[in-house]
Amino acid sequence: MRKPGLVLLVLVLVAGSAVGLAACGGSSGKEGGTLTGTYASFPDYLDPALSYQPEGWTAMYDTYLPLLTYAHANGAEGSKVVPALAKSMPKISDGGKAYTLTLRKGLKYSDGTPVKASDFKTSIERLFKVNSGGSFFYETIVGAEKFAETKQGGIPGIKTDDTTGKIEIDLTGPRGTFTNELGMLFAAVLPAGTPAKNLTADPPPATGPYMITKVEPGRSWSYARNPYWAKANGPAIDTVSAGHVDKIEIKVVRNDSTQVNEIERDKADWMQTPIAADEYNKVKDKYEGTQFRVEHPINLYLFWMNTEKAPFDDLKVRQAVNYAIDPAALERIYAGSLAATHQILPEGMPGHEPFDLYPHNMAKAKQLIKEANPADRNITVWTDNESPNNEAGAYYEGVLNELGFNAKLKEINGDNYYTIIGNESTPDLDTGWLSFYEDYPHPNDFFQAMFSGESIAPTGNTNLSRIDEPKLNAKIAKLDEEPLGPEQEAEYAALDREFMELAPIVPYGTNTVPTFVNSEIDLSKVIFNPTFGQDLTSFQFK
Amino acid sequence: MAVVGPWRLAWRRLRRNRVALGFLGLFVAIVVFCLAAPLWASEVAHTGPNKTHTLEKIQAGGEVREVVNREGRPIGPQWLEADGKFFLGADGRLGRDEMVRLMYGGRTSLEIGFAAALLTTLLGTLLGLLAGYYGGWPDTLISRALDVIWAFPVTLLAISLGLVLAVGGLQIGPLHLSGSSLWITILIIGGVYVPYMARPIRGEVLALREREFVEAAEAQGAGPGRIMLTELLPNLSSTIIVFFALNVANAMLLEALLSFLGVGVQPPNGSWGTMLSSGLDLLTSAPLLTYLPGAMILLTVLAVNVFADGLRDALDPRSKVRIEAHSGLTKAESVEGIAP
Repeated sequence: MRKPGLVLLVLVLVAGSAVGLAACGGSSGKEGGTLTGTYASFPDYLDPALSYQPEGWTAMYDTYLPLLTYAHANGAEGSKVVPALAKSMPKISDGGKAYTLTLRKGLKYSDGTPVKASDFKTSIERLFKVNSGGSFFYETIVGAEKFAETKQGGIPGIKTDDTTGKIEIDLTGPRGTFTNELGMLFAAVLPAGTPAKNLTADPPPATGPYMITKVEPGRSWSYARNPYWAKANGPAIDTVSAGHVDKIEIKVVRNDSTQVNEIERDKADWMQTPIAADEYNKVKDKYEGTQFRVEHPINLYLFWMNTEKAPFDDLKVRQAVNYAIDPAALERIYAGSLAATHQILPEGMPGHEPFDLYPHNMAKAKQLIKEANPADRNITVWTDNESPNNEAGAYYEGVLNELGFNAKLKEINGDNYYTIIGNESTPDLDTGWLSFYEDYPHPNDFFQAMFSGESIAPTGNTNLSRIDEPKLNAKIAKLDEEPLGPEQEAEYAALDREFMELAPIVPYGTNTVPTFVNSEIDLSKVIFNPTFGQDLTSFQFK
Repeated sequence: MAVVGPWRLAWRRLRRNRVALGFLGLFVAIVVFCLAAPLWASEVAHTGPNKTHTLEKIQAGGEVREVVNREGRPIGPQWLEADGKFFLGADGRLGRDEMVRLMYGGRTSLEIGFAAALLTTLLGTLLGLLAGYYGGWPDTLISRALDVIWAFPVTLLAISLGLVLAVGGLQIGPLHLSGSSLWITILIIGGVYVPYMARPIRGEVLALREREFVEAAEAQGAGPGRIMLTELLPNLSSTIIVFFALNVANAMLLEALLSFLGVGVQPPNGSWGTMLSSGLDLLTSAPLLTYLPGAMILLTVLAVNVFADGLRDALDPRSKVRIEAHSGLTKAESVEGIAP
């Protein structure tokens, strides 16, 4: 005989369990929603071939995928290179000169166009056509240097087969960092016909989980889910997650205090900008552990000095400036978020061995200036207008004036700063402020970009000191060919010292970066990649 | 019966306008305050406006205090506890003396305000005179050029020019002005307000040109230059004076805006506008750094505007009736300018 009451009870229990499980969700957070974020300045570019700032890289990390990418993970895990559009890590042969990869099958751009192997070649060629500041990373590809000059004829060192998805890259010589460079945003694969111009206002189609849907240059931009991520790319690429939120709205809010207020009042979910020094400690004390977390990207804050122009063409002047800068003062200007350093390789970077060739000594600095007796004492000091970098610039200007120079500070809007100082036609590029965040966790990244003579470019210049020492260039090039090991790390440490003896820059500290979210975001889920910053796919509402 | 000249009559009217005189006094006090900057800096504060004191300590109130503490917080107003040093505190993490910067900043703001107003007045008067007197194609040329400038909102035009010139400076032939030169700001502000003065002047000249005294001067063989200088200009003087005063206020306000936005006075030089901007970074922990320059801008512009208003009432014959009601002038005085 049936017992309807018992059956009913079982049904209710089963239904209740199903509801309970559904409510918990598979990831213990809410899926969907719109993430609102704020930046203090608009990224230099929203074009993966051109952007060379943390703001731009954070913005496009989950939008444009290269053949390889950096693991979407925190800390040291996030510095590992993993396959993205490529099926697997490259096969390296011919003594480190040949790289072979295979494109995953079935990939599509966000406009539905299939991703082809030949798109990688045209994307790299586009880097040179737009005179990208990152193009020098790929100049070791056979034929790339000639293509950089002529912009004609393609790069013969990249061979592709759209049928099989095979991509073969031949280098002029072995390059120990090339795998890292294939993971950079510069190498993001774009459709073959992508115009060779700045596409910030109308970004190209995406391959990542999010696509940029609307841009108001200087003011805001928006993302939506890439419709072809779920259908095609997502199932194929297991190293990049789909993301939790459906939409992302980013707006530029110039004032740091306003950004903090908006987070505190839950009007914005996340601020990309480091918190202004005035509020840093207050926010940290109030929200650490719940909505605030200190991140440790590898970076270097410094003042560059143009070694091709008086008075900084004189070694004694450069050394004097190094002696004159007091890291303790700069620590206060950065309200405790800066760790003082006086060398090129920061702590955490392989090859870092602490030393200080120029401990603060104003008397010695003045003595060196007296010995150098520079004729040209008019100096323009460049800085961006974001606090406290502009105050660091003002402090630097004061130090130069104390040394007997006639220094004038020039503050440039953060949106344009790197573009302006990286353009050799800008007049009076004497000295200025700079922050350099690692492109990848390899010491060559610092030396190649900032100190190799080969990196000096008419636009998008990263070697702002314009130092070009053939012997040291050769050392950089030699070390670049070798895979990184203890021997190479020791050589990089020695190179650090050799460059600091020439004092082309005044390094003064490494900065921490906070992740600050509002109460609705699960902070524990937010991933901070040491190279790309906060991972947009990791933001999830509670 | 003695005839009272128009200037004396105007002075009498102004003297009776206590509000205007009161604000003139306020303005003079602000100017004196700013002019005293070098004295205060050398004798009391013992520092300059751009000198940083990030790591320094001072003796105040019987204890040693850091000018900027380890968390980057600047010292607050010390008033007289440190013998006048850091009277209003430090201006931020650079540890500059706020009082000294306020005084020097005022000098910069006033300097730019007056210089720009002078430029506007000179150019506006010249163009207005030429356009109004000659008419014809000179008038068309000048008026259309002014219309082009007038078509742009003043603030946006000034910001755009400031953005461009702040980076590269200005090069006209052998003349080169660097982007940080105060002259860039003066030229921008002086230039954008020219149409707002030239057009009213032109209108007045058009009316005056038809008057008998101009015809008489022409009949006597006076050339255009002489007529403009000796006949027209004296009759425009009261308008010009009032416009100049108003231009000073407008120029100071625009300078504050441009400097606040970073396209006016360039750091580390201070003006009240740059101080307002840098004070915002510390609005929660040191609000005085924002309130003080803001208050100075407000008081100065208000003082100039109210005084200019009173000056206009005193100089403009058409406002005689209004002044009479307030000042108690007799009918004879008011109508004929005749002393009782």
